[in-house]
Amino acid sequence: METLRSTAIWIPLLPLIGSLLVGAIGLRWLKDRSHWLVIGGVALALVAVLSVVSTVVGEAGRAHNVDAVAANEGIELAHTSEHDSKLSESFTIYKWMNMGAGSWLDVSFRVDQLTSVMLLVVVPIGFLIVCYSVGYMRDHHGHPERGYERFFAFLGLFLFSMTVLVLAGNFLVLFVGWELVGLSSFLLIGFYYQKPEAAKAARKAFIVNRVGDFGFALGIWLIYLTFGTLDYQTVFDSVSLAMRFDGDNYAAIVPQLQGLLGTERVPDVTAASALVLQVQDRITWIALLLFCGAMGKSAQLPLHVWLPDAMEGPTPVSALIHAATMVTAGVYLVARCSVIFAASPVAMWFVGSIGAATALFAATIALTQYDMKRILAYSTLSQLGYMFLALGVGAFDSAVFHLYTHAFFKACLFLGAGSVMHAMDGVIDVTKFGGLKKDLPITYRTFLISSLALAGVPLLSAFWSKDEIIHAALAGNMPLLGWIGLLTALLTAFYTFRMVAMAFWGPKMLPAGVEHAHESGRWMTVPLMILAVGAVFAGYVGVHFKSGGFLGFLEPHGTFHHFLEPVFAGAKVVLAAAPIAHEGHALMYWSSAIAFLGITNAWYFYTKRPTIPGAIALASGPIYPLFKNKYYVDEIYDAIFVQPLRKLGRFFFGSDRYGINSLLFVIGNLPRVLGFGLRTGQQGAMQGYALGMILGLVALLWFVLQG
Amino acid sequence: MEMAAPQVLMIVGALLFGIGVIGFLTRRNMIVMFLSTEIMFQGVLTNLVGMGLLRGDLNGQALGIFVLVIAAVEAGLGLAIVVMLYRRRGTLDADGWRTMRG
Amino acid sequence: MIENLVYIVYAVTALGAVALFVGLPRGDKPQRNGLLFICMALAAGVSYFMFDAMLGSVGGKVPLIVLSLLSIGGALRMVTHPQPVYSALYFIMVILATTAILVLCGAEFLGFALAMVYAGAILVTYVFVLMLSQQSTLHSDAFTQGFDYDREAREPFWAVAAGSLLAATVGAVIVERDWGGIETVAVEGGDNTVALGRILMTQYAISVELAAVLLMVAMIGAIAVARKHIPQAEDLTPRRPLGAAGREAKPY
Repeated sequence: METLRSTAIWIPLLPLIGSLLVGAIGLRWLKDRSHWLVIGGVALALVAVLSVVSTVVGEAGRAHNVDAVAANEGIELAHTSEHDSKLSESFTIYKWMNMGAGSWLDVSFRVDQLTSVMLLVVVPIGFLIVCYSVGYMRDHHGHPERGYERFFAFLGLFLFSMTVLVLAGNFLVLFVGWELVGLSSFLLIGFYYQKPEAAKAARKAFIVNRVGDFGFALGIWLIYLTFGTLDYQTVFDSVSLAMRFDGDNYAAIVPQLQGLLGTERVPDVTAASALVLQVQDRITWIALLLFCGAMGKSAQLPLHVWLPDAMEGPTPVSALIHAATMVTAGVYLVARCSVIFAASPVAMWFVGSIGAATALFAATIALTQYDMKRILAYSTLSQLGYMFLALGVGAFDSAVFHLYTHAFFKACLFLGAGSVMHAMDGVIDVTKFGGLKKDLPITYRTFLISSLALAGVPLLSAFWSKDEIIHAALAGNMPLLGWIGLLTALLTAFYTFRMVAMAFWGPKMLPAGVEHAHESGRWMTVPLMILAVGAVFAGYVGVHFKSGGFLGFLEPHGTFHHFLEPVFAGAKVVLAAAPIAHEGHALMYWSSAIAFLGITNAWYFYTKRPTIPGAIALASGPIYPLFKNKYYVDEIYDAIFVQPLRKLGRFFFGSDRYGINSLLFVIGNLPRVLGFGLRTGQQGAMQGYALGMILGLVALLWFVLQG
Repeated sequence: MEMAAPQVLMIVGALLFGIGVIGFLTRRNMIVMFLSTEIMFQGVLTNLVGMGLLRGDLNGQALGIFVLVIAAVEAGLGLAIVVMLYRRRGTLDADGWRTMRG
Repeated sequence: MIENLVYIVYAVTALGAVALFVGLPRGDKPQRNGLLFICMALAAGVSYFMFDAMLGSVGGKVPLIVLSLLSIGGALRMVTHPQPVYSALYFIMVILATTAILVLCGAEFLGFALAMVYAGAILVTYVFVLMLSQQSTLHSDAFTQGFDYDREAREPFWAVAAGSLLAATVGAVIVERDWGGIETVAVEGGDNTVALGRILMTQYAISVELAAVLLMVAMIGAIAVARKHIPQAEDLTPRRPLGAAGREAKPY
């Protein structure tokens, strides 16, 4: 455990050190070799991650064995076995704030199975994307772009922030990481700050995230108010206990609560029951406020507007932050607080509905966009919607599984889009180019593989995770969400291959000013290939072989889910839901069919009969413009929030300028008017001052000597 | 040859000092102003010698030496400053540096 | 000592003040040199009487009184003369007269040091700077008529009032106060120079060191101040506006 702790500290520190070193020596001396500092930092962090994860896997395996042995011998051991509780403990890095009465807010980390999964997503993909950026942030002759060193410093800062977020052992550190990723995201979206759209997008992302973070901070505050602590495990255990309270079982609950929260907070039965009632009262609010933060960071339906605009940042940033890692922080948050959410049916219903609505909504918008990165951004929204859908129906492990698979293929898609953009000299509009299949062979192949994965083609990674989610939704008490999921799957397959068809298939076409497209360099293609391999095989940690399964030998729910079981065990208990039965594979065949339907339709519409889409758009009446204009959400926000605020600002500006300013003018000029008389004595003439001095001296002398 | 005339020396010193003050205050040429301060130094020095005569020891004269040193220092630095100011404005007029808007 | 000597002191300062006031340059109006000399002569007469009364029956007092009058008169003329060069010359007169007074009073070393340092060194520097700063006007009217700032005194009335009041107050105190018995300088083992050297090197040793340091610092300071490059307006080349480089760069 001690080694785990000392290793875990280095995971965030190493990228940070790399990033600071870029600032210290990269700007002046290393210049276009600055990336080595960050690559080195992240590579070492990757080693640390692998070591930490292997330790966690080992601990978890031993706990599993103990459980199995105990079960064999008929001993009640539950999930609070010795090894298990060690993993759920957070360890303090240092004591931070004294909150009085002996309670401290610490900087503490927690390394458990969920953290391991998140680290395995964040750091390796981060590493690949840092490597990719070495190629991307240069022109075709290998000259680095302006701000090259700054970019790598920011990437290092982001990886520091994200790992802090993931490793946090209490809500306060989580919040710090949360805000840090917000800052890094702001810096990276606004990387091309000379471009007004980029600066605007960075501002928008920051402000929209503030809306969510406001709720998030309130939620954390409410947690502290209720429990008097912000430590994950204490809060979760208290919630579990409080939910188990049925009005009579004081004897069982009071000592446990005392053990968790201290006898000062829970002195007797009365206090315990008051606390428990308070918790049951507030749990929905806590969950909803926390979910506010998740909605902001993960760009869910009313707060999604920043993510498509964030594509103004460099493409590696879009891949790293706005597809693979940061936007999944919301999913991570809900998964981490699964107990809290499970305790509130309203919150679960809300999370699921928002997720499903976002999934469908974003998919419909993606159908009509032409900017490759924006299509992918809406696709990301939609996939995040899937994850929240899964969380909402209680399939926490499936959500994390989808998060994990999604990171690979979506990062690969974004990087592929970046590669295309690099070859097209910055053009990303799919109507301006086409038929790049031959010119960009590696990009095309990796992009195709990831697209197949995104579309949900069987045996590729997303198929397993997405199918699980739809299955869980249909089996749960909100089957409508499942049907929305299926519809979205069809749309996903269609818009993905619409993009592939427009960019890579069909007759060759290049944007004006580009002589010939050429494949990107080794720095960019190797990460693409590695990610493509991930897009194919990442899903297999979540399935196991079983005769009679899908296609005769594959069955969902593999190692991955068993690994995560302890994390969500508490939530499962609170939820008191029967485990989702994975019987019957009809759905899997159906969803395969849907994927193929979408793909073939897209192929037919956009390569064989390119006139059909236009005709459909015309025939659809107001629906096409509605999708095309993103449901006018930006316009609605502009009318509801921005314009009134601007008017209010103008009003205050006017009252400041004419009201307060004139008042201050009067006040400020009063001394001037008063000083007008005295001013004539101060002429800056040295001799005048000397005269005054001498006269004073004479007066003084006379005064002294007369006595 | 020695003459015990401390009061005369002190009166002369006082008058020299007063004249120096007047010169400093009235003249606008910076060099003449500095000359006037030298006159004031003279007055002080003479006065010190007179005081020393009163006391009957050499402390007054020793202090006079230091007045001399200070006068030399003041002359050196003051003239340096005058030269600099002259380079800036091309005039020795002390009123040329009245830049405050009174 | 006669009674009411203090009124004589007042009269002397008042006459001197009038002399100064009428003698100060008045711009374009002609100098009132005749009036000045009349006042100075009056003041000198009264002063002679005053000094004579102060010294009483001391032998050989006439040269001392004459030298004192020369010194004060020179100072008056130095302050009132509209041409700085003449001021400098009258300043030499003041120095030499004071030197003689000091020698008469037994402070030979200080007297000669004064003559050497002032008349020899400081004044030469003054005249040098004066010439340096007026050479540009060698062929202009200013050279013959003097500069306007030399020809016009500022605030003559208040300045004369303040200065003469100061002198009168100090003089009255000197005269009024009972200074006790007047002793002659007790010179130990030799002349004034030896005695002064002894006291400077024993009692004032540290002060002498400090004075030496001060002189050196002043020298360095004077060099540093005088040779400083004065930025001219042409030196300030226009800089690029803030952020100009950023706007010209490629957007991605």
